[in-house]
Amino acid sequence: MTHSSKTRKSNMSLLQRYAAAPHIVWSVLFIIVPLIFVGYYAFTDVSTGEFTFSNISAFFTKEYLLIFGKSVKLALIATAICLVLGYPIAYFMTNCKPKTQRLLMILIMLPIWMNFLIRTYALMTLLQDTGIINTFLSKLGLPTMHILGTETAVVIGMVYDYLPYMILPIYSVMSKMDHRLVEAASDLGCNSFGVIRKVIFPLSLSGVISGITMVFVPSISTFYISQKLGGVDTLLIGDAIEQHYTAANYNMTASLSFVLMLILIVGLAIVNHYTDSDEGGGMLI
Amino acid sequence: MKKFSNFYIGLILFLLFAPIAVMIFFSFNEGKSTAVFTGFSLKWYMELLKSSEMLNALKNSLILAIASSMIATVIGTMAAFGIHRMKNKYTRQSIMTVTNIPIMNPEIITGISLMFLFVFVGGLLGLTTKLNFWTMLIAHVTFCLPYVILNVLPKFKQMPNALPEAAMDLGCTPFQAFFKVQLPAIMPGVITGLIMSFTLSLDDFVISYFTSGTDFQTLPVLIYSMTKKSVKPTIYALSTIVFIIILILLLISNREKSSYERLEAKKAKAEKKRQEAIKNAKKAAAQKTKVKVTAPKAPKRHTVSPKLTKIIALVCTLAIIVTFCVVLNIASKETVTLNVYNWGEYISDGSDDSLDVNKAFEDYCKNTLGINAKVNYVTYTSNEDLYAKLSTEAVSYDVIIPSDYMIARLASEGLLQELNFDNIPNYELCIDDSFKGLYYDPDNKYSVPYTYGMVGVIYDANVVDEDDVGDWDLMWNEKYKGEILQFNNARDAFGTAFYKLGLDVNTTDTKMWDAGLAELQKQTPLLYKRVMDEVYNMMETGEASIAAYYAGDYLTMVENQADNIDLQFYYPENTNLFVDAMCIPSCAQNKELAEEYINFMLSEEAAIANAEYICYASPNKLVYESEVYKEDMGEDAFDILYPTDFDFADKYDANCYKDLDKKTKEYINSLWNRLTITS
Repeated sequence: MTHSSKTRKSNMSLLQRYAAAPHIVWSVLFIIVPLIFVGYYAFTDVSTGEFTFSNISAFFTKEYLLIFGKSVKLALIATAICLVLGYPIAYFMTNCKPKTQRLLMILIMLPIWMNFLIRTYALMTLLQDTGIINTFLSKLGLPTMHILGTETAVVIGMVYDYLPYMILPIYSVMSKMDHRLVEAASDLGCNSFGVIRKVIFPLSLSGVISGITMVFVPSISTFYISQKLGGVDTLLIGDAIEQHYTAANYNMTASLSFVLMLILIVGLAIVNHYTDSDEGGGMLI
Repeated sequence: MKKFSNFYIGLILFLLFAPIAVMIFFSFNEGKSTAVFTGFSLKWYMELLKSSEMLNALKNSLILAIASSMIATVIGTMAAFGIHRMKNKYTRQSIMTVTNIPIMNPEIITGISLMFLFVFVGGLLGLTTKLNFWTMLIAHVTFCLPYVILNVLPKFKQMPNALPEAAMDLGCTPFQAFFKVQLPAIMPGVITGLIMSFTLSLDDFVISYFTSGTDFQTLPVLIYSMTKKSVKPTIYALSTIVFIIILILLLISNREKSSYERLEAKKAKAEKKRQEAIKNAKKAAAQKTKVKVTAPKAPKRHTVSPKLTKIIALVCTLAIIVTFCVVLNIASKETVTLNVYNWGEYISDGSDDSLDVNKAFEDYCKNTLGINAKVNYVTYTSNEDLYAKLSTEAVSYDVIIPSDYMIARLASEGLLQELNFDNIPNYELCIDDSFKGLYYDPDNKYSVPYTYGMVGVIYDANVVDEDDVGDWDLMWNEKYKGEILQFNNARDAFGTAFYKLGLDVNTTDTKMWDAGLAELQKQTPLLYKRVMDEVYNMMETGEASIAAYYAGDYLTMVENQADNIDLQFYYPENTNLFVDAMCIPSCAQNKELAEEYINFMLSEEAAIANAEYICYASPNKLVYESEVYKEDMGEDAFDILYPTDFDFADKYDANCYKDLDKKTKEYINSLWNRLTITS
């Protein structure tokens, strides 16, 4: 009996040891190696294969720094708006009945499941000068707005496309929060603003952080939204990457991707430093 | 407060759903526009059923989503099991860090990095098609894996370690212990992971865009190429259907959950009462001592109703079988696929009761030649796009339709094959001598002309003063600031500036190109946007009022313009003439069938259908000499397309874009980047 259970257990450990193997092999082949390729193309000349810094130094010219600055600016604005709009929603949702909460969850998730290209395109027909909003405004006798083709339109697109990604992680953290804590705080004499500031917000911080990353990262790297909703002066870093890709300029594609990745890694490391992440568990819905 | 919160939630939901409502509304539009509603109709739903391109893409998307989510779920669940039991903390953490990379990394970088790998490995293996179904499958599994692991891992953590050991002590084998004890406990996580992977894969655009080849196009990639031109409500119709299906599925799973929860609620009630008592006691204590109390975590239970599990198991089994069959089907294809790469909206595709030329060719192959051929039709948006795809050899095409200067470039770089005109007897029959021996193919070896035309200026006569029209200055007129559309490709955009300044468009003098750049920079503040095929929608609705574009497209716009728009057209004194011609690239795998296709495109029925659909001038005698065609097009349109006041060959040679030397091309590219990036 003891003997057989021992062999079984050793079988078990054998199973355990190799269960993760396919994933590890897969990750190395299709996550690590491709990233090495990005680094390789960023530091070599494709036609000659020689090592060079020229691709990277091309990034540090006025043109690219300007687009990069613009990308950061628009992505930050969009993230901030998403946070301001999304946080109250998540909070209000937790105060609803469980049944309503589930329905609201579905309604907020539903747009994500629609193709974002089509959503963005539909947004375009709403925003354009001859679009629905402006037609409506002019019928009311109000002045029309020129939105499409401006930075405002790009920010609107980002907020619209990624708002659910802000709401969901915050909501998921808040809904797990122990409501007795809130009650305790108010029983102890905290006013409702104090409760939010001192109890609810600190406890929901991990959700806020994942929300911010989940909105900021796609916003800063988007190219479709700026292509559709932007104009002549809203080229973002994602557009530049895509433009070099379609021109088959692998060196610049790689070097821009490389720099973008590097900056995001540093950014995320800083964010993670100030929050205790538990193996990225808070990320998910 | 309650009122405000309800209002706020309502407002945000309204904003989230407004564009979706617009989309659903316009899917019932009778007209072609996605901005002007002309009447209710189900026309686009019918059109959708007829559109083999879209249905095929939908099928591909489903196959890919099912296959990749299945593979990711199996590998991911195993990985979660292994990671959970790993003893070394650092190994575990580093594996988790790598696992999270595809989530944290921008999609564009994941896509590009995988593309680099595939193209490199494909090159090592000497594959002609480096990006295909398998590369997309790998890419999708890669970005789905972390989501599966992150959903399954917590379930393992919640389960006491003693459980599987107890099962084994009671006589289970490790496998039985896993399948009978652990798997049911982690099932909710596995299912969430599976569903998430499925939807992520189904909806993914960015990564697919960089890793997809020609023979396997998914719906989002198709939609992307479609939203580059004027979008037809067919896409809206498709999205509406998808929307309703998702809504129903979500509501069903929600009901399933709630009926199960009612049962659970009863059990929970008793527990709740007990907890409340504890809470009250604690509250009282806290008030007295003012000590922060951390409440114990309420016990949580995650289970799925048995009925739902059965349904899911059934669906999974079916899905596996379907995937298997389909994958086998892909692997052992009996039909010959002909990959045709063409401009968007550049072939008669069967919409609006036109002839579906590709389908007609398939029928012709089947009935006349006895071959089971399938035309795989893919579109590009610029010559440079086409060149990029061909030169990286990431994909293989059988027939391509580039413009003149690109043909010269491709031919000079050895990327084209000589045609065997014995297989294209219609060439001698249909093509007039004035279209032979042109600059790009002086010996008539590589190409068969498909269309030709000239660039002109389109304007809305309701906005633009008649006195201002006539030459290129209109595009630089300060009066129309914010109303002007310029080409979004270097050659055509510089062309407008060069013609305006009276310079030679094929100069290799960098000073001239600098002058062109200065002129374009001067124009930038006046522009609404730089566009290619988006020009249709923007001109038809009056969004912009002035644009330089190809004559044939003007005719399409007039057909679709809104009621309050009056589009007019003129050729400035000097303007570009172009010829687009059919060629066979050196990577073609079915040369004879490709020649058959080219021959078929020259035949009367196909050529007239194409000419009427595209509205470009045709170099085919059977077309421009046909009375039926002339009548269908109308006299005005015919006169615009076939101006008679000059000799084509002469004017062409002076005004076509020629392939420039490498140095000049690079110089133009850098200027173009400077213009578009810094403006």
